[in-house]
Amino acid sequence: SWRPSPERGEITETTGTCLLCPGGCGIQARLVNGHRAIYVKGNPDHAVSRGGLCPVGAAGLQYLYAPYRITQPLKQTGKRGDPQGFQPIAWNEALKIVADKLAAVRKKGLPHTVACITGQDRSSVTDLWKQFFAAYGSPNLYTMPRHSDSTRLAVALATGYDADLGFHLEKATYVLNFGAPLLEGWAAPVRIQQIFSRWQTEQPGLPKTELVHVESRCSLTASKADRWIACKPGTEAALALGIAHVLIREKLYDAAFVSEKVFGFEDWTDAAGALRKGFKALVLAKYSPKDVAAVTGVDAQVIQELARELARQKNAVVLWGQSSDTPNNLYHDLAFLALNALIGALSDKAMVSLVPSQPWQALPEPAMDLEAFKGLGQKPLGQPTSVPKTKVRPNTLHAFLNALANGEEYPIELLFVHEANPAYGLSENTLAVQALQKAGMVVSFASYLDETAAYADLILPNHNAFERLDDVIGLPGAPFAFYAVATPILKPHYDTKSTGDVVLGLAKTLGGTVAQSLPWKNYEEVLKLRAAKIAEGATGLLVDATFDPASVEPGVSLRANFKKAADVWKKLTAGSCWVEAPQALDACTTPSGRFELACQGLLASVSTNAGDELFMAHYKPLPPSGNAGELPLLLTTYRSLSLAPGYVPNAPFMNKLLPDDLLLKQDVFVEVHPETARKLGLRHKAKAVLKTPLGEAPVRVRVAPTVPADVVALPEGLGHTAYDEYVQGKGVNANSLVEVHLDPVTGLGTVWATRAQLRLA
Amino acid sequence: MVIDLDKCTGCGACAVACQQENNVSFRPDESDKLRTIAWMTLYRLDNGKDYPEHREAMLPRPCMQCDSPHHSPCTFVCPVNATVRDEHTGIVDHIAVRCIGCRYCMVACPYHARSFNWWDPKWPKTMEAMLSPEVSPRMRGVVEKCTFCHHRLNRARDRARINGEDPDGVVYTPACAEACPTGAITFGNLRDPHSDVARLAKDPRAFRILEKLHTEPKVYYLSSDQWIHKQSDNDLS
Repeated sequence: SWRPSPERGEITETTGTCLLCPGGCGIQARLVNGHRAIYVKGNPDHAVSRGGLCPVGAAGLQYLYAPYRITQPLKQTGKRGDPQGFQPIAWNEALKIVADKLAAVRKKGLPHTVACITGQDRSSVTDLWKQFFAAYGSPNLYTMPRHSDSTRLAVALATGYDADLGFHLEKATYVLNFGAPLLEGWAAPVRIQQIFSRWQTEQPGLPKTELVHVESRCSLTASKADRWIACKPGTEAALALGIAHVLIREKLYDAAFVSEKVFGFEDWTDAAGALRKGFKALVLAKYSPKDVAAVTGVDAQVIQELARELARQKNAVVLWGQSSDTPNNLYHDLAFLALNALIGALSDKAMVSLVPSQPWQALPEPAMDLEAFKGLGQKPLGQPTSVPKTKVRPNTLHAFLNALANGEEYPIELLFVHEANPAYGLSENTLAVQALQKAGMVVSFASYLDETAAYADLILPNHNAFERLDDVIGLPGAPFAFYAVATPILKPHYDTKSTGDVVLGLAKTLGGTVAQSLPWKNYEEVLKLRAAKIAEGATGLLVDATFDPASVEPGVSLRANFKKAADVWKKLTAGSCWVEAPQALDACTTPSGRFELACQGLLASVSTNAGDELFMAHYKPLPPSGNAGELPLLLTTYRSLSLAPGYVPNAPFMNKLLPDDLLLKQDVFVEVHPETARKLGLRHKAKAVLKTPLGEAPVRVRVAPTVPADVVALPEGLGHTAYDEYVQGKGVNANSLVEVHLDPVTGLGTVWATRAQLRLA
Repeated sequence: MVIDLDKCTGCGACAVACQQENNVSFRPDESDKLRTIAWMTLYRLDNGKDYPEHREAMLPRPCMQCDSPHHSPCTFVCPVNATVRDEHTGIVDHIAVRCIGCRYCMVACPYHARSFNWWDPKWPKTMEAMLSPEVSPRMRGVVEKCTFCHHRLNRARDRARINGEDPDGVVYTPACAEACPTGAITFGNLRDPHSDVARLAKDPRAFRILEKLHTEPKVYYLSSDQWIHKQSDNDLS
C-alpha cells in the first residue's frame, strides 16, 4: 500500500526506566496488543524525572525499531572493518569461539591481554565485568571517559574517599557555574532541566535562585542564566582561583570550616620535613584580580564583585566541567573543589556532598587463583607510572588505546566492547580505530551496527535499551545514593541476548575460580541480589515523585520504609527508586585526616623537589600543539540536547529539530564571530575548510556573535559514518578534529581547545 | 496553551513527542525547511547584540488555533472545507482526505504552522511498527498541521461518556505538554476563568505572536525579556 495502515488493537501501558543515558528517567510506554510500542512518555510518579523526558528518550522508539539494529550474532568472514563480511552465526557457536579464546589466552598465562571497554558505568553489568576481570586476571577494564574520572581522583586526593560529587541544587540560592552545560544535557539531564524550571518559578516566601554562568560561548545555558560572564576559552579555573584570591584577601571565606577541617590552607611541612607553601600563600601571590583578568579576559572589577556576591550567599554552590563525558585537568578540578571548600559548601551546610559510587559492597569478593593474581597485578596497558595511588583506579582509556595502537608494552589478544562506540564517540576517535585494528580479536556487544561494531570480529548483540532488564546505580551529580531497576517495556523482538547473561555464561564455561566468582544463574538473579542487599541494609527509602532531595542530609541515614527483599523487588520493578543519604564529610581518610587543599597523596607521584604548586589547585592549561601562525584560531566544540552525541546517534525525529544554519544537506555550520569572518573573507553560509593538527573537514560558516573573535565553535554529535541513510554522512565528527591532552598527573585524556584554521573552500 | 519561554530550554522533547504521537513522517534530509513537515517547530531568537551582550532563546511554535471572529486565516481561504474550526472546542482541524492540496491555507497562515506532503510518507520498514493507530498517516499532496492532539480530546470525551460524566468538562494533555521536562507548556481551557492557562494568559509577561494581525491566537507565550516581546510583532509595531 502507498501509506501504511498501523495495526489496531487494545492499547496498554507499561513502566520502565530509560537506559539511553545515565539520567535514569522513569518512562511509560503505550503498546498496541502488547507487542508494538507506539509512544514513550515520562513516568509522572518517578522520583527524579517526574514525568519529564528529553528528546532522546522521546525518540527512543526510533532506536528500538531502527533498521540498523543487529538482529542476530554476526561473525566477520572477510577483512576486519568490511561491512559486507558479516555473516550470521548461531549463539552457541559464537559463544564457543569467545570461551575458547578466553581459555586459550589464560592457558598461555596471559590473562592480562584480555581487555574491555564498556560505555555503561552505572549498571550491574559493569560490576559483573569487574568481577569477571578480577577472577580471570586482567587489569585492562575501562569505561568510556566521564568527567567523574577526574573528579573522583580529585575527591580521593582531597578527602580520601572514593565518591562522586553530588550538588544540592534543590537547596541552592546562588549557583556559580564554570562552564558546565546545564541545559545542554549535563549529569542527569531531566533532573537538571526540572531544577532549572524551579529556579525560574517564583515561589512565595523563597528567594529566587540566581544562576551565574561562566563560559566563552553564548550557549543556551549562558543565555538563560541570570548573568553570563564571558571568559576566554578554557580559563574558567583561573577565574575560580581569582575569586578565591579575593575571598582570602578580604577574609570572606568560611574561616571556621577552613581552620577546623582543612589542611594545607596555611604553609605546611611535608613528610621529608621540608616547609611548603600553603594554598593561601600561593593564591595570594599568583591570582590577583589583575593577573586573572589578563588571563581570562574578565574585568578585575567583576572578579571582585563575583567573590563578594558569592560570599554573601547563604546557600551558594560552585559547579564546573565541560560535557559530562570529558575528564578535566586534575589541578582545575581541585581548584573548583577548593573554591567550594572556601565558601563552606563542603561544611555542615553540605551544598556539595560525597556520594559513594557503590552504595553497598558491589558483589562478594571474587575468588582468585594464582593466575588471576599474576594477571591483575600487571600494569594496565599504557598507564603512566606516575598516576596517584588512591582508592580510585584511574580510567586511562586514551593511554591504553595509544599503547595498543602503537604496539607498546604488550599486545591485546582479545578486546570486548560493550555499549560503547569509541570509534566515533571518543575524542581523537581515530586513535580508537587504530587500536581496534591492532587488537587480536574484537568482540562487540552492540545493539546497533555502529562505527565500532564495524571493526568487530564477532558481534554478540545485546537487547536494546527498552527490551532488557537492567539497573541504574547512582545518578551523576545528584546529592543522594540512588538505585533503580529498568524493566523491559516489551519482549526482545530479535535474536539478541542480555550481555549480563552472556558474561555469566562465559564465566560458567571457563569454570574454576572464574565460575566460582560469578555463580549466578542469570542476570535477573544478580539484580535480585541488589534488592536483597537493600532489604538487608534496612536503610534508605523507596520513593516516588513525592521525594524531596532537599530533605536528605549527609550522614543521616533514612529510615527504611520496606522490610522484605521480595517487596523491595516488587516495588523497584514497578518504578520506585531507592535513595539514601550521602556520607558525611567528618572523618577524611587523608594523611592529615582533613580536607586537603595541599594533597599529600600526590607526594608519591610528583618528584620530591617538586614546586609547592604541584600539590594543589593551580591554573595550568596544557599548550595546544600546532603553529599559531598557521592555525591562528581556537576550536571549541559544543553540544545541545537535540543532538545526541553519545552511544546512540541522532534519531530521524531529532534531525528535524536542527536549524538550517546548523546542518544544511550534508554540511555542518561552525560559528564564528562577524569580525573573524570579515578578517577571513567568509560570508554567512559560505563553504569553508576547517583545519586542525588532526586533519581538515569541509564546513559552512554561521556568522554570529555567539563566540569571541578568533574562536570557532563546532557542534558535537554529527559526522557519523555508520548506521543508515537517516544518520550517516551528515556534517563532521567533532571528535576527529579535537586534540586530546593527556593530563600529566592522572594520565586521563582531557580536551579543552585545539588550534585551528578556517579558510574559504 | 501557554508556553513559558523563561522555562523553555529549547531541548525539543515537545517536537519529538509530537512527531511520535501524530505519525509525522520524516526523510533522510530534513534540512530544507520549506519542504520538511513539522507540527511543532523550534525557532531561534536572538537579541541582535554583539558578544558578550548576545543572547539567544528558543520559541516552540505549534498551530496558534486562531480565534479571530468568523474564521481563522486558513479556514477562511480553504475552498473545500478541509480545514475548519470547531466552534465548540476551539480547535482548528485539518481533514486530510478532503484536502485538494491547493495550499491556500499555507499562504494564508502567518505563522508557517502548516506543512505540505511533497512526497508519499515512507518509513523504514522496521519503523512502521511504531506508528500509532489513533492518527492516520497523511498522503502525498495534502497539507497537515498541529491539531492540539484532538484525538486525545476525543479519547477523553469517550471515556467521560462511558463513565456517565460531562464530556465537555474533560481535561487532557497534548503530547508536547506531556513531554516537556521543564513544565514550560501549560494546556487547558482558556474559557474557564479558573484554569491555569486563563490565569497565565493574563500574566504581565504574556504576549502572543503577531497580535496586530488580530488573528487572536489561542497560544500565549510568557517571557520576562523585553527583546523577546519586541520580536513577537516582527516589524509591525
